[in-house]
Amino acid sequence: MEVAYYPGCSLHQSSQFYDLQTRRIFSELGVTLTEIDDWSCCGATSAGKFNDFLAVALPARNLGIAEQSGFKEMLIPCSGCYSSHLMSQTRLRSNKSLMDEINGELAFKVNNHLKLVNILELFLEAKDKGQFDSRIVKQLKGLKPACYYGCMTRFAYDVPVSDNVENPQGMETLLTMTGAEPRDWSYKTACCGASAAINDPDTAFNLMGKILKNAVKTGCNCIVTTCPMCQLNLDAYQEKFCNKAGIYERLPVYFITELIGISMGIPLSEMNADRHFIDVFGLVKELELV
Amino acid sequence: MIPSATIYNPQSAKTLIDEVIERSNQNIYACYQCRRCASGCTVGEETGITPDVLIRLIITGNREEALDNALVWQCVSCYTCGTRCPNNIQSGRVTETLKKMSREEDVIPLNPNIAYFHDAFVQGCTRWGRVNEMEFMGYYELKNIGKHLVNFQFKKAYDEIVLQVRLGASMFKQKRLHLKLHTSRGRKEVKQFYKMALKKKATLKNDKKSGIGFRLD
Ligand code: SF4
Ligand code: SF4
Repeated sequence: MEVAYYPGCSLHQSSQFYDLQTRRIFSELGVTLTEIDDWSCCGATSAGKFNDFLAVALPARNLGIAEQSGFKEMLIPCSGCYSSHLMSQTRLRSNKSLMDEINGELAFKVNNHLKLVNILELFLEAKDKGQFDSRIVKQLKGLKPACYYGCMTRFAYDVPVSDNVENPQGMETLLTMTGAEPRDWSYKTACCGASAAINDPDTAFNLMGKILKNAVKTGCNCIVTTCPMCQLNLDAYQEKFCNKAGIYERLPVYFITELIGISMGIPLSEMNADRHFIDVFGLVKELELV
Repeated sequence: MIPSATIYNPQSAKTLIDEVIERSNQNIYACYQCRRCASGCTVGEETGITPDVLIRLIITGNREEALDNALVWQCVSCYTCGTRCPNNIQSGRVTETLKKMSREEDVIPLNPNIAYFHDAFVQGCTRWGRVNEMEFMGYYELKNIGKHLVNFQFKKAYDEIVLQVRLGASMFKQKRLHLKLHTSRGRKEVKQFYKMALKKKATLKNDKKSGIGFRLD
């Protein structure tokens, strides 16, 4: 199976190891990810705060490239990128003149038939097709993750999403398959503050403090996420916001790909897991998973 | 401070509501003030003003307060309010619209850093076709630190530099900083979109100044 792949800026920079893990695991599952040629930045949430036209036009360029390269489906692992592409698609669908105006500038025109999938959807599809059968070689016993979805995979501009909006279960389903014991907790769809960590740190640190406090309180021993922004925030600022909120515990913040990878027998070191700020090796060693 | 939403000005209300509805694509008339959005708002505790109050301000025509309050700037665009609203109003889209309107009308942002940040991001990504985290953070910090210096707040500028250098150093240590310039060959198209966006922004602003109202396109 071949699927178009849009990594986005952060998977080529601060979260490059997430890119590496995603490619590796899908290739082991028999799914070929083909990075679309010469993609450009989707504008993230900043474009929408700058100008509406720009927010639709920037992702549209990538939609056009993927479609004209003959793809039917495109994987976007970054939640922010996923959300802005979905938003663009929806807006274009309901506004023909906007689409014409944008297509007027594009070498690869959009006709809007591409199916966008996030990483959980693609993993779940693989699971349903039995592609994980006999691939899970290690049961992640003793791992009690707080599945943290953040906000961006689900609130994409009036677009129906495949999971439950208030209580999504995709990550739980996948992690239960690997033998982990995901806990029920209250902050799975709370927002980490995203770019506010930089431009409005007081607000963002309060938000992250609440998230971590609840994860600790419900007995989780790690956090799992699919979003590079959430991962970076909860990881890089954990020391800071925990000190501020009076939390003594520190929890490793894994990407979903790392836990699935461990269960498939891929060593953490081959997944560049040393890029975390809060150590991720200690816990899995202690539980004798690696 | 929670702004008052009690003064009703029918005339300014009509123009304000029309503009917000058209540009945000959200039917705020449907709001019946149930406050489900308020209980879920991520930043509600910090801002004091919640989406329901903001909508009330618009409906009652309190233009100044609607354009100049903490929620407009501190909203983190998580869209929780929208998923909870029984009337399907995405208040996050309303705050984004108000942010743009307030800048068109030269309201000084309550939190200028947030405005700098988004500007720096858009400029960075349209310059190269891709965002270069290092470069765009550099631009943002220059502006941010510059602001403190202009205001003679040397201590603030110093603190900001220390904070950012520390963050940068730890990012570097974890191999999460990349020094290679990331670009897209097709950035001409992206630049063209940026130009078009600037033009649309200018038109909107001029129309407003000359009293034509607003026009989208
Ligand atoms: S949830 Fe919707 S209807 Fe209720 S107060 Fe908020 S915007 Fe109005
Ligand atoms: S999108 Fe903005 S207004 Fe809505 S819940 Fe999130 S922070 Fe609050």
